[in-house]
Amino acid sequence: MKELLIVEDDLEMQEFYKDMLEGEPFTVTIVSNAEEGQKKIKEKIYNLVILDILMDGVTGDRFFALLRRDSRYKEVPVIMASALDEKTYRCFQALGNVSFLEKPFNKERLLSEISMRFGSKK
Amino acid sequence: MFTNKKEIILNINRIIFSSLDIREVYETMSKELLKVIDFDRLSVTLITEDNNLYETFVLSKDYAYTELKEGVQYPMEGSLMKRVVQFRQPVIVEDTSKGRFLTDPVLYKEGIHSRLGYPLEHKGRVIGSVNFGSKRKDYYSKKHITFFSQIAPQLAMAIENTRLFNGIKEAEEKYRTVIESSPDIIFECTKDGEFLLMSPSVEKITGYAANQFYENRGYGLSLCHEEDQERVQREILQVLKGQNDSLMDIEFRILHKQGHVVWLSLEMLPMKQNKDIVGIEGFCRDITERKKLDELKDNLVRDVTHELKTPVAKIEMAIDMFERSVTLGDKVSLGRGSQIHEILRNNVNRLKNSIKNILDISKLESGVEPLKLSDISIADLVKQIVFEQKDSASTKNNVLTHQLPAGIPIIKADRDMIYHLINHLVNNAIKFTEHGKIIISARVLSDAVEVTVEDTGRGLDEKTRERVFEKFYKEMPSAFGSGIGLAICKNIVQKHKGRIWVESEGKGKGSRFKFTLPMIVDTKQKVTTNPK
Ligand SMILES: Nc1ncnc2c1ncn2[C@@H]1O[C@H](COP(=O)(O)OP(=O)(O)O)[C@@H](O)[C@H]1O
Repeated sequence: MKELLIVEDDLEMQEFYKDMLEGEPFTVTIVSNAEEGQKKIKEKIYNLVILDILMDGVTGDRFFALLRRDSRYKEVPVIMASALDEKTYRCFQALGNVSFLEKPFNKERLLSEISMRFGSKK
Repeated sequence: MFTNKKEIILNINRIIFSSLDIREVYETMSKELLKVIDFDRLSVTLITEDNNLYETFVLSKDYAYTELKEGVQYPMEGSLMKRVVQFRQPVIVEDTSKGRFLTDPVLYKEGIHSRLGYPLEHKGRVIGSVNFGSKRKDYYSKKHITFFSQIAPQLAMAIENTRLFNGIKEAEEKYRTVIESSPDIIFECTKDGEFLLMSPSVEKITGYAANQFYENRGYGLSLCHEEDQERVQREILQVLKGQNDSLMDIEFRILHKQGHVVWLSLEMLPMKQNKDIVGIEGFCRDITERKKLDELKDNLVRDVTHELKTPVAKIEMAIDMFERSVTLGDKVSLGRGSQIHEILRNNVNRLKNSIKNILDISKLESGVEPLKLSDISIADLVKQIVFEQKDSASTKNNVLTHQLPAGIPIIKADRDMIYHLINHLVNNAIKFTEHGKIIISARVLSDAVEVTVEDTGRGLDEKTRERVFEKFYKEMPSAFGSGIGLAICKNIVQKHKGRIWVESEGKGKGSRFKFTLPMIVDTKQKVTTNPK
């Protein structure tokens, strides 16, 4: 089964993710901050990572940069989610294989983004 | 008396050109002159630039006291000088006791009884005169004039040269003090990166002394922040290659000797010798403070955006979740639930729209988003909007068309902003019109393009016409919208240095929203059409 890691510090947002992804054919791991995320990615290789851009502490973009430094995560697709518009995320494109998900999104939008990005190897 | 006249003339002319120090010239010359023309007082007076005053330039040293002092300016009116200048002729005063000129009685008191004024001409212009004064009455005559005529032109030329030289020296002095006291970095650098000039202020801004720049080729570039280096280098090359003749202005970071980042703005111009570009001259200003402020503003806008948008996004997602749980449960008939759901949806949309508008106007007003100018075709933009909005117009039985004459020029503007502007005017026109016509037209004025969005809808009375461009203004407070749209439009137009206004014959008589965008003339084009 495919593995999805979500790094999101907003507990309510976590609820939305759980609700929308319930019963989908992949395992979902949700962590509340970048530090926990770091631990998780050391344990195994996820097939896709969803990152909230603006988190307290280590922000999503910093986490993303660190992720790409890990040789096992050079190619893993990343989705950056934020209520800010797409412009704020553009500078991360240089890090490769990343797409943007604007909040709010509904279940359909989320699932289509995930299925598109799963296994996407640019 | 005039025995070895030729020799003396030659001698004097040699003296005149031997030095740029006019005092020195004058003193040696007066000694030589004394051999042929006797005088007790000798002065050179020069006319000031406005032609109204004259100034005694030098004066015989052994002449102890005089009213007409050196370095003081006297009015031309009524003086011997005025007459000399006017007639471009030497003038002789046989007897100063007669008081023919205003200066005569003054000199008479000092013992001077006769005078000779000789014009100094340079390049066809009288620049002053040489004035001889003698204690003897009726002393000067034609022969003195003839003799001096062989010296005067050279003397005039020497004086002009000295003046020029002093002028340059003064300008150079001024330039040096400007460079030395300027808080900004002023520099000149050859093609090979050798610094010909580097102002001392560089040390305060970068931590490195000017010497280090003089001693090391291309030193400036190595201080550049690594992320900016390539860009700066590229821009400099462009200037050196002559691809950019106008003033270039770039902003970049350097690393201060102490390790912190300093933001600089650099303006540079090619330095030319004949027609070849031999280097650049530049002007660098420390803009770190401004950059910090910009960053603060950016972050503030970003944080506020995030704070406003996140809860709304979550409400929207919650409504979505609610909807799904209700449909899934399905036991309860939706009935009242769907009504609540509808209200929630509508109001979230309204809130989202308002937040977007408020953020848009604050971004425009705070200037955090600079104009992204490019060549745009108003005609294409209008056609695109008509195409996109046709359906929405027809749902209210409106016909949306455009009227575009040929030859609307390409202008420099921010495409996204102008799109937003026209689109909003069209949206409004559709909103306030039913069973009517909406026409977008454009025409070319002498220095601008004028766009009109005309509708046959509700129109505006005078009071509303005056206020529609205000923030939050709505004619009917209950109307959908935040009343910011036109304020944003106005801001966009103003950012482009254009004008926006509305015309309407009154309530129910439709309205015409108009705006102009100046055609920014290429600087090169300007040179050819206006050869000043
Ligand atoms: N084409 C039009 N015809 C009549 N009234 C208009 C038109 N366009 C704008 N208005 C008036 O100007 C007000 C403000 O418009 P606008 O600033 O665009 O508000 P919003 O951002 O809510 O769309 C509107 O509420 C309306 O009263």
